[in-house]
Amino acid sequence: MDRLNTIQKTVVAIILATMAIVVIVPILFFLNVAFSSDVEMSKFPKSIIPSFTLTVKVVPADNGEYEIFYDNGEGYRSILTTKNPIKLENHFRRQYNVSVPGEKLLRDFSQTRINGPMEFKYQKDILYNFKQFFAIVNNALPALKNSIIVSLYTIMISLTIGSLAGYAMARYKFKFKETINVSMLIVRMFPTVGISIPMAILLIKFGLFDTMLGLALLYSVPNIALTAWITSSIFVGINPELEEASMVFGANRFQTFMHITLPLALPALAASSMYAFLTAWNDTISALILTNENQTLALVVYKAIGTTSSGIQYAAAGSVVLIIPALVFTFIIRKYVNQMWGGVEL
Amino acid sequence: MKNIKLADSKKSSITKLDNSKQNKRICDTIFSKKSVPYLLLMPAFAFYAIFWLAPVISGMMEVFTDMDGNFTLIENFKLMFQSDLFGESIKNTAIFAAVSVVLQYFIALLLAVLLNSKFRGSKFLMFIAMIPMAITPTAVAILWKTGLIKEGWINSILMFFNIVKKPIVFMNAEGLSAVLLVMLIDTWTVTPSVMIILSSGLQGVQKELKEAAYTFGASKWAIFKDITLPIIKPSIITSVILRLIAAIQVWAIAVMVLGYGKAPFLVERIAFYVDVVPGLPTSEKIAFTLSFTTTVIVLAATVIYLRISRRKTGGNN
Repeated sequence: MDRLNTIQKTVVAIILATMAIVVIVPILFFLNVAFSSDVEMSKFPKSIIPSFTLTVKVVPADNGEYEIFYDNGEGYRSILTTKNPIKLENHFRRQYNVSVPGEKLLRDFSQTRINGPMEFKYQKDILYNFKQFFAIVNNALPALKNSIIVSLYTIMISLTIGSLAGYAMARYKFKFKETINVSMLIVRMFPTVGISIPMAILLIKFGLFDTMLGLALLYSVPNIALTAWITSSIFVGINPELEEASMVFGANRFQTFMHITLPLALPALAASSMYAFLTAWNDTISALILTNENQTLALVVYKAIGTTSSGIQYAAAGSVVLIIPALVFTFIIRKYVNQMWGGVEL
Repeated sequence: MKNIKLADSKKSSITKLDNSKQNKRICDTIFSKKSVPYLLLMPAFAFYAIFWLAPVISGMMEVFTDMDGNFTLIENFKLMFQSDLFGESIKNTAIFAAVSVVLQYFIALLLAVLLNSKFRGSKFLMFIAMIPMAITPTAVAILWKTGLIKEGWINSILMFFNIVKKPIVFMNAEGLSAVLLVMLIDTWTVTPSVMIILSSGLQGVQKELKEAAYTFGASKWAIFKDITLPIIKPSIITSVILRLIAAIQVWAIAVMVLGYGKAPFLVERIAFYVDVVPGLPTSEKIAFTLSFTTTVIVLAATVIYLRISRRKTGGNN
């Protein structure tokens, strides 16, 4: 149609470049933190690219000891003087995220007796912060399991109940269709915290407090409506004549559903389940209210942030674990974002 | 557990019912039976009656009874009004909702328009623009906390470009600047979701319409204002409502980055009473009343917004 002139092009390029930088730079720094060792965390200013190796300078000292120097950005500083292999090994692991046996370190360092002060380079244990997160936060591993379980429960509940409702909305004409559509919108508009606290009392009555099933019941509240909308929009697009034809050829209702309707509706069901997954996986406030001992991963990471900033690299590593599935699923379902509010004419 | 079984048994009875009926009259049309849709909707009704309506009603009862269980209209609201930081949390929530929704809407609209004019690399840039919305809220909080601490990456950048001489202590932010900080982080995370809704609206704008207007000598701005905007209006309304509802319920970033009480919001207060001072009868009442109030505000804001946007549409037509 029309072409932008050079000035307009430049302005557009600047805006988009700014956007890209604003999105990417924080993420890069954050990833760097998630892979940083203790000494790197105290470095300032920080670098944007994580380092995967450690360089230390070793100077031979008296009594067979070695003095270790580390460059924290302001030149080499003496950190430790020892000849104890266990002490060395622990120091290297805790401070530098380097997992090398103490004996090997001493053997390496013994070269300095002949050559004088030397620099040594070691490979960092990339997964150290992740191991440390699961080691320090003692319920992190059960929490990961809980998160997966509660997500699966949420998917199951909202998919079965929601898709039945969605099928009814798509295939049948009945009196209160519009009313039902609008009431589902109101349900979705309700703040989750608003029902979380009374829900806690309800779940205590049912003996479901502090269980993943109880939590999943709450997460299903917004997701049943969502599933109904997404699936009904798909069922509408599936030609009923296909179903009729299948039944003419002698398939019963159930067979028709299993072999004709379901495969065609699969993308919508997949999208709905991913939404259900994300609700359960990302939430913290409801988990905070409805659980006690059985926490979810998001809640555990939230608690690991704490109020201080020390050890934040472990929390960062934990949240990388939290991000990965969320990232994958969000990108798969982004097409369906429009369905989030049911496409109800507002 | 019982309820799940209940719902499941209902569901299976429906399929059975369907099958038996279907076997009798196979060729008869599938869509005639009047009761079938209601049966299919039954599990959803049952679920919402038990797990939505019941909590909502019992929550409301808590709000209107005092600690001895007697009916009271204003006692709990008095308690709420007298609670710490309540006034400030109302003020902050209002400022946050108003400013962040407008800010996010304009950034999202700008990006959506630019990224929808197809050029080389636009798909890739769209992909990048969407990343923040995919990051779990808890992770977003940690991401920004690692930046905001005194030796964090934001100060590293500022020092690198010589913008500041000494590191800024962001974490000590209070009052309005704390709200602003939360607002910026929130904008970073949620703008993509607004952008997606707007750009799917933009994809529905037919090129022919724009071309026709262009041939008749309309300026780009005029085309945007008079053709594009009216067509994507439903997307705009949806995205703004979505943001409005979420913005009133902001809390996670405020608490996870700054801590409780630094930037008080309505839901932040609820979390405070549940998380920090649980067990006390007054804190429970305050939490109930706060969440009731938040819900009323959310619903009121949505209705008011819908009214205004509807009236505007009516005027245009």
